[in-house]
Amino acid sequence: MKAFFFIFTLWTLSYAEHYTFLVEPYTKEVELEAKIIYEIATASLDENVILFIPKISPLEEKVYSNYFTLTKDCERANFIFINKKEEIIECSSDKKTLFFTNNYRKFLSNKKFFGALFWNKSRPNIVFSHQRLEEKSISLPTTFHQFIENF
Amino acid sequence: MFRAILILGLLSRLLLSDTLDTLLEEYQATTENSLETVNEKIGHVVVYSQKEIRLMQYRTLNEILKELPLFNINTNQFGLTNYSLTGSKTTTSGFFRFFINDHEISSGYDQSTSLSWSDLPLDFVDHVEIYYGESSFSFGNETGIYFVRIYTKSALKEDGSEVAAWFSSKTGHSQSITNSHIFENGWSYLLFANQEKIKKTSLYNQQKLTSNGTKHYLFADISNETSKINLGYTDITKSNYAGLALDSTPNDGENLSKDFFLNYTHFLLEDKSLKANFSFDINERSYEESNDQGINITPLIDLSIPWSIPKNFQEDLRFTKSNAYLSKSFESDENALILALNVKHKTYDVLKRKSTNFLNQTNEIEHYNSFKHETTSSVLLQESYSLHPELLLVANAKIDYYDRNAYLEDTSEKLLRIGTIYTPTSHFGFKAFYTQTALTPSFYTIDYANKNMPNLKSQEYYFYTLEAVYTTGNSKFGITFDHVEIDNFLYQTPVGFVNVDHTIKTDGLVFDYEYTFSKRDKLHLNYYTSTLSEQINNATKGGFIKFMGGYQKFDYFTSIIYRNGYDYLGLEIPDSFDLSLGATYHATKDLSYSVKASNILDKSTQSLYFTNFGSTFFALDDNERSIMVSFKWVF
Repeated sequence: MKAFFFIFTLWTLSYAEHYTFLVEPYTKEVELEAKIIYEIATASLDENVILFIPKISPLEEKVYSNYFTLTKDCERANFIFINKKEEIIECSSDKKTLFFTNNYRKFLSNKKFFGALFWNKSRPNIVFSHQRLEEKSISLPTTFHQFIENF
Repeated sequence: MFRAILILGLLSRLLLSDTLDTLLEEYQATTENSLETVNEKIGHVVVYSQKEIRLMQYRTLNEILKELPLFNINTNQFGLTNYSLTGSKTTTSGFFRFFINDHEISSGYDQSTSLSWSDLPLDFVDHVEIYYGESSFSFGNETGIYFVRIYTKSALKEDGSEVAAWFSSKTGHSQSITNSHIFENGWSYLLFANQEKIKKTSLYNQQKLTSNGTKHYLFADISNETSKINLGYTDITKSNYAGLALDSTPNDGENLSKDFFLNYTHFLLEDKSLKANFSFDINERSYEESNDQGINITPLIDLSIPWSIPKNFQEDLRFTKSNAYLSKSFESDENALILALNVKHKTYDVLKRKSTNFLNQTNEIEHYNSFKHETTSSVLLQESYSLHPELLLVANAKIDYYDRNAYLEDTSEKLLRIGTIYTPTSHFGFKAFYTQTALTPSFYTIDYANKNMPNLKSQEYYFYTLEAVYTTGNSKFGITFDHVEIDNFLYQTPVGFVNVDHTIKTDGLVFDYEYTFSKRDKLHLNYYTSTLSEQINNATKGGFIKFMGGYQKFDYFTSIIYRNGYDYLGLEIPDSFDLSLGATYHATKDLSYSVKASNILDKSTQSLYFTNFGSTFFALDDNERSIMVSFKWVF
C-alpha cells in the first residue's frame, strides 16, 4: 500500500504545474527549446558541442549554459543556432560547423542550414534536409528519421 | 499486477521523457500555459491561458469576464455589455482598462469599451491576463483599478491560416479568418477579420427591446524583433434596446460606432531597455432615437420647462486620442527601475447634434460645454528591489498633469503604490499592495454632469490588497482580500453626474482553489464575498465551479457561475446560476467541431433599468438559454 501511495505521489507530482508567484523571469519555454537543440546538436556531432547563438539574450545565456558550452566567438563554435533576424554568419574557421535555424523559410532558401526548429499552426516542428545531412556526413539516430524531408 | 502496471507506467514516462517527440509535446504544452508575459509586480493576476480558452470554449472576451470575482457584467440600457464593481451597477464604466497588446482600447469619450470592443472575438487572441491593480503605473495610460491585457496570437507561432465560425440559437453568429506569415528577414504579419451578427431581445411592458446588429473587427500585427505595429478597426451598427427613452421603450433608435487605432512600439538599444510607443485612435459614433414619451438627454432638459424634453434626438460625434510614451529600464541583480514619460492628447468634436422637443422645435446643438480637448502629461517610475531572494519590494509613483481647455481647472494628480511579494518557500507566497490613484472626469461625465454642479472632481481611490497562495502537489489554494475607499465617487443621478459627498467603502474576500488531475484535466473553484457602504444594486457574492479536460480526440468542460440575489427598494432579484456544458471533437489536428450549451438552468443574472428620471425601475435577464455550435479549421 505504501508503495502505491509513493508511486501515486510521484505520478501526480510529475503533472504538477502550479506556482505561487512568478517573480523570476519565466524560463520554462526557453529551457525546452534548449533541451530540443541539445538533443539535436548532440545527435548531429561526434564531439562536445560548442554553441554559438548570435545576439544571445541574457535569459537565453542563463538557460543554454546549463546544457551547452557557449561561446561568443563563432569561429570556436561547432554548432550555430540562428534564432534571431540575423542573416547567416560567415565564420572563417576550417572546422566543421553546423548551422541550425528557427525560421523555416530561411532553412528552405539557404543550404547552409541542415535543419530547423520552427512553429507552424501553433505547433513546434523539427525538419532536416536529407540532402544536406548527406553532404555534411551527418548520421542521425533512427528516432530522428521522421523529421527528415527528402530534399 | 496493478502495482507492476503503475511502475511500468511511471518508468516509461521517465524513460521517454527526453525523446524529441516528447520534448516537442512538452514545448507546446508549456507554451499553451501562457505564463511568459505574466508580470507579478503590477497587481494580482489571473491568467486565461491558450489551453484554458480552448478547453472552456471561450468565444468572446465577455465569456471570460463574466466569471471574474468582485466583478459584475450587466447589460446597460443600450443593450451593451457593461462592467461594474461589486454591488454597484454603472451605465458606462471607466474603472477597467482594456489593452490589445500595448494598446489601450477604451473610448475617448466615456473611457468605456462597451460600444466598440465588448464581445471581442477570441479567435485571434492567444491569452488574456486580468490584473487587479492600476495599469497606468506601468503603461502610462489612463487610470483604472482593474485591467485586462489581451495578447493576440503571434505570427511566429502560427505561420498559417485559420477559419472559425459559431452559430448560436439565440445570440447570433460569427465568422472569422486569420492569416499569418513569417518572412526570411525576421518580419512577420498576422491579419484577422471577423463579422458578427448580434441578437438580443427582451420583453418589457409587452414591448420588445432589441439589440440586434452587425459588428466587424479587423486587426493587423506587423512585427519584427524590435518593432511592433498594430492596427485595429471595429464598427458596429445596432438597434438601441431601451435607449435613453423615459419609459425605456423607444419608438425607434440606432447606435453606430467606428473605431480605428494605430499603435507602434519600438525597442531601442541592444538590451531593448529603451521603449518608445506612439498611438493614434479615432472614434466616430452616431446615436439616433425617437420616443413619443420623451428622451432623457440630461444636458438638454430643464425640469422647470417640461416641454424642453426631447422626443427626437440625433448626434454624430468624433473623438481622437494621440499618445506618446518613452521608457527606460535599468536592471541589476537586485534592482529593476523603470522611468517613463507619457503625453496624451484627446479631442472631442460634434459633427452634428439636433433635437426636437415636445413643441416640435428642432434645435441644432453644438458642444454642451466648452470642454473639447485635454492634454495629459505624465512622469512615472517603478522601482523593484530584491531585499532578499525571497522578498521583493515594489514602489510606483506617477504624476499626471491635466491641461484642459474649458472651465475645468487644470489639475495634477499624484498617484502612488507600494507593495511586496514574499515567497519564503516554493509552496507559499504572499503579496500585498497599497495603491492611491485618481480617475478623472471624462468628456461624457462632463457632458452629463448635474447642471447645478458642473465642476466635477476626480474620483480618488485608495486601496489595500493582500493575497496569499499555497501550492502542494497538484493543488493551488489562494485567498485575496481587498479594502477600497473612494472619495468623490462619480454617480449618475437622474439629473446628471455628481461627486458623492462622502467616502464609499468596500471590502472583498476571494477564495480560489485549483486541482490539476492531469495535463488536460483541471477543477477550479472560486468563491467571493464583499460588502459595500452604499445601497446595493448588484450582486455582492459569487463564485464558480468549472471542470475542463480532454480524452483522446475530445475536450470537454462544464461550469456553473453563481451570483447572489439582492433586494433593491422592494424589487427582489433572485440568485443566478449560469450552468454551461460543452464538448469539442478534434477530427484531425487541424479541424475541430464544438457544441456548447449556456445558461442551461435559465437563471441568468439580471440588470436594473430606470424609467421616468429614476422614479420607477425594473429588471431584465442579461442572458438567454442558448446552444452554440462552432468549428475551427487551421490550414
